[in-house]
Amino acid sequence: MGFGKATSSSKAMKIIDTEKKISVLIVEDDPLIQKIHKVMMAKFGTEVQVVANGKEVVDLYRSGASFDLILMDFEMPIMDGFEATKELRSMGVTSMIVGVTSRSQDSEIQAFMKSGLNACYVKPLNAEKVTAVLNELKNN
Amino acid sequence: MEREKTDIFSRESQRESGRKGKQLSGRGEGLEPQVAEETARESSAKTGLPLWMLGLGADRLRADMNRLLALLFHQGVLDEQFLQLQQLQDETSPNFVSEVVNIYFHESEKLLRNLRGLLMDREFSDYKKMGIHLNQFMGSSSSIGAKRVRNVCVAFRAASEQNNRAGCLRALELVEHEYCYLKNKLHELFQLEQQRVLAAGVRYPIQN
Repeated sequence: MGFGKATSSSKAMKIIDTEKKISVLIVEDDPLIQKIHKVMMAKFGTEVQVVANGKEVVDLYRSGASFDLILMDFEMPIMDGFEATKELRSMGVTSMIVGVTSRSQDSEIQAFMKSGLNACYVKPLNAEKVTAVLNELKNN
Repeated sequence: MEREKTDIFSRESQRESGRKGKQLSGRGEGLEPQVAEETARESSAKTGLPLWMLGLGADRLRADMNRLLALLFHQGVLDEQFLQLQQLQDETSPNFVSEVVNIYFHESEKLLRNLRGLLMDREFSDYKKMGIHLNQFMGSSSSIGAKRVRNVCVAFRAASEQNNRAGCLRALELVEHEYCYLKNKLHELFQLEQQRVLAAGVRYPIQN
């Protein structure tokens, strides 16, 4: 299930052919999901970094870092995905931010989208969803 | 779906056979004779199988693994997400699936202990905290393809949202039951894989 501008695509893993590697920041506190998403994104030829909560991504951007794509979990300690996304947008960050959440109710997802996400997916991320996100990023 | 599952294990057996630096492209090729003999004798010692049976053992074990996986998919214990994990496993991360599953077991047992601890407290009222643990457990269960575990969590979450302690306790027992079943079956699967890797140490038995 996905919300936002991303479109669906075939299930095959495709490496997006770009001159420069897409940089991805995974914002996720669960070590299991960190590992899965990190390996999955690396398989698609992206450069991946991982942080464990929303405050860390805000601090990274404040220190001058920038990423093409942020995969933002919703529930995290210290600062959750909603607050982190709101903060990043208020700082003028225009990176693509895609929510990834365990919550599946429409109302919950729409609420998360209002923080300024480009799209939101219910866990788990899979090859099809990642392809859709990376294609959307490439097109923009 | 069946072909995809067996193809995944074919890739894994090729990876294992390439361990000693030579790739197998089919049943006609083998390891360097000295290395093959050493591997065969090691495998024979470890499995207790006579040398001439090793090749047969690996194929039978692979068939057993495929049957077990097919059963788990048929029962709805696992879903396609588990296949996605297997597709992420390669030479750069050869133990990815077992590492991920072991993290899942470790984290899940902590979460289940937390949930039981919360519900056993007579003065329990922090349903929000319980919801957080539950969401994390649901997310990680979905991410490894643990479909039935995830599905029984849905009822748990519904009871939690209604502040229904008795309902939560019933749901927790169901979750623990499904989790135990999943854990036992995945252990069985990984044991079969270990045995298959040992037995597949050499493609053809060495003739004395």
